[in-house]
Amino acid sequence: MVLQRQCNKTFLLMQGQRCCEYADDLAPPGSPLLSPIVPDDGYIPNTSNSETVFNSHLQEVKGASGHFSSVDLSFLPDELTQESKDQSVIRSKQDIEENCKTQSQQSRLSLPREQDMGLGLINDSTLSKSHSQAYPGDADSVQPSPEKPNSTPLMSITPMTPVTPVSECSGIVPQLQNIVSTVNLACKLDLKKIALHAKNAEYNPKRFAAVIMRIREPRTTALIFSSGKMVCTGAKSEEQSRLAARKYARVVQKLGFPARFLDFKIQNMVGSCDVRFPIRLEGLVLTHQQFSSYEPELFPGLIYRMVKPRIVLLIFVSGKVVLTGAKERSEIYEAFENIYPILKGFKKA
Amino acid sequence: MPGGGQCPDCGSTELVEDSHYSQSQLVCSDCGCVVTEGVLTTTFSDEGNLREVTYSRSTGENDQVSRSQQRGLRRVRDLCRVLQLPSTFEDTAVAYYQQAYRHSGIRAARLQKKEVLVGCCVLITCRQHNWPLTMGTVCALLYADLDVFSGTYMQIVKLLGLDVPSLCLADLVKTYCSSFRLFQASPSVPAKYVEDKEKMLSRTLQLVELADETWLVTGRHPLPVITAATFLAWQSLQPSHRLTCSLARFCKLANVDLPYPASSRLQELLSVLLRMAERLAWLQVLKLDKRSVVKHIGDLLQHRHTLVRKAFRDGTAEMEAGEKELRGRCQGPEQGKEEVASSSLDLPEGKRPASPTPLLPPCMLKPPKRICPPPPVSTVTGDENISDSEIEQYLRTPQEIKDFEKAQAARQAARSVSNPP
Repeated sequence: MVLQRQCNKTFLLMQGQRCCEYADDLAPPGSPLLSPIVPDDGYIPNTSNSETVFNSHLQEVKGASGHFSSVDLSFLPDELTQESKDQSVIRSKQDIEENCKTQSQQSRLSLPREQDMGLGLINDSTLSKSHSQAYPGDADSVQPSPEKPNSTPLMSITPMTPVTPVSECSGIVPQLQNIVSTVNLACKLDLKKIALHAKNAEYNPKRFAAVIMRIREPRTTALIFSSGKMVCTGAKSEEQSRLAARKYARVVQKLGFPARFLDFKIQNMVGSCDVRFPIRLEGLVLTHQQFSSYEPELFPGLIYRMVKPRIVLLIFVSGKVVLTGAKERSEIYEAFENIYPILKGFKKA
Repeated sequence: MPGGGQCPDCGSTELVEDSHYSQSQLVCSDCGCVVTEGVLTTTFSDEGNLREVTYSRSTGENDQVSRSQQRGLRRVRDLCRVLQLPSTFEDTAVAYYQQAYRHSGIRAARLQKKEVLVGCCVLITCRQHNWPLTMGTVCALLYADLDVFSGTYMQIVKLLGLDVPSLCLADLVKTYCSSFRLFQASPSVPAKYVEDKEKMLSRTLQLVELADETWLVTGRHPLPVITAATFLAWQSLQPSHRLTCSLARFCKLANVDLPYPASSRLQELLSVLLRMAERLAWLQVLKLDKRSVVKHIGDLLQHRHTLVRKAFRDGTAEMEAGEKELRGRCQGPEQGKEEVASSSLDLPEGKRPASPTPLLPPCMLKPPKRICPPPPVSTVTGDENISDSEIEQYLRTPQEIKDFEKAQAARQAARSVSNPP
């Protein structure tokens, strides 16, 4: 357990280093962003009490693990116990939230945290507890940050999947708007029978060779084909998409077909966000012409095809950005973090 | 392939009827031996029925090219000639078409798409040479739908991996303005409406640059902005006679189509000019509105750089001090009081300057249509139990099924009655 904790600390140190690399260009050294996780390399430490607690931990860690020049996750143990994962995930997210509270949009922050936790790492009870503590729904309420750092030991770890829902740099988190998934029900279906027996189905074989079925909760639409394959669209999260697909499968089961639930796969995820400043699209297409396509005669937005991760972004003059083509939530976040510094470069006219 | 006949050289029966220039020959396709040949020269009496053969048809090059590709290449050349493009453009466009045709997806495409492909190749060539050709013009010439055109255009740019520069706005202004029929008096154009081309062009260019600087061009179709700018330029050159003429009438006179967004672009441009006029000392005392500001466009354009800086603040920056802004030519006593007012505050008296409005695209200045509440926190895990009652609500009861079937049958019957065979 002690060894685990030390590894956790080191990981956080490296997260901090990475945070500092990013934040170098954007935030001055003395900013509150850097202070809680600042390593001892010459950044101007601020004089708050919390600093000393962190620094002492960091020195201990440095002695133990030596010098890290890049983020290397290979030493991390393969599994952590559920309970330590719970605690550490909540705490780390609280830490990151505090870092970014000062320069981020607060209402957007609370969302991905819950959603990430919903990914199955945490059970619901700890989730609700942390809700009441750390996520005030009202954007104007004060974060209890002065008390927090002293009580929270620096032995937290961010989750295994490399998800940084709130970047230390932009503070804006894209919201998922649509998830498209497919599943195989593994039985031949009689679409006419389904359309007859189900209230929420429409079937027009002359127009389209599938039954279009809708359910109210989660609010989604499914295309059910006679081969037994099904496409589910309209969900706002991966779990909702899975639940909806299961509900459709259950409806088909109740209609008398031996439906199963095989190969559920998320095919596409769409997210959107707002950077809150206007963007000179003509300038962007000049500097990034190999990735961008801007044809105002055809479409008002700029189509940016990012290579890594492979995401297509629609960037509009109002600063709204739509990200699509992702198979994983992290790809959307990563793509936005990649594009944000580029967009900031086009902020001034 | 003619039946019978063997090559005397190699003995193969693969004889092809081919022509070499104007001489018809029977050639063995294996060894190339000329088996028989027609007469090279013709007598005067024979020539009466003969026609000239063009060089391109006499060489064998078109035999390797499919007929639809040949048709497409011809269309490309025709389009270039109609648009009066330089000859180098023609060769480039033809090369692009041939390059596109090498891809199987294009070869198997519908004729409509191949027709539109002609326009795409010409458009790409023009863009690469900064020749201002709009997609609207190409679509009009090809009688093509803009949706089909846009799909094919995006596909072909991606397929050929081309780098197509943006439409050059300044050149577009020049060509578009030159197409307005206002530079000579005619029965439809009264003398007072005739304008000097150079003056109009330069003023239109300045107005378009102003629109570009104040976020009226980004993300929008460029042509309506230019129409609005041309109209304002024309009006401002002789406002006393031309203020009564509306935008629609102006376009009709000039024999140019009025694009639908042009009137809203005009309003946006006028509001920008009004904001600038509030910063110009001798115009502050006049209570200008959207009609009277046209008379002063000349002055406003002359000082446009400073006026834009003064009238608009950076959309994200803090408000600058109001006092700094009115140095120099201030005549009236001005208080320079800082007002923490929004841009909607239009001052009734012209003495105090309005606070700078943010320089933002119009879509950001409009209030949001509906405020999207952040989505509720979802604690769905995806593996919850699904209750039977929830699923039952989506199923029809047996009685409902019977009723539905009856209703469907009735509808079918009604339809067959109303559509007699």
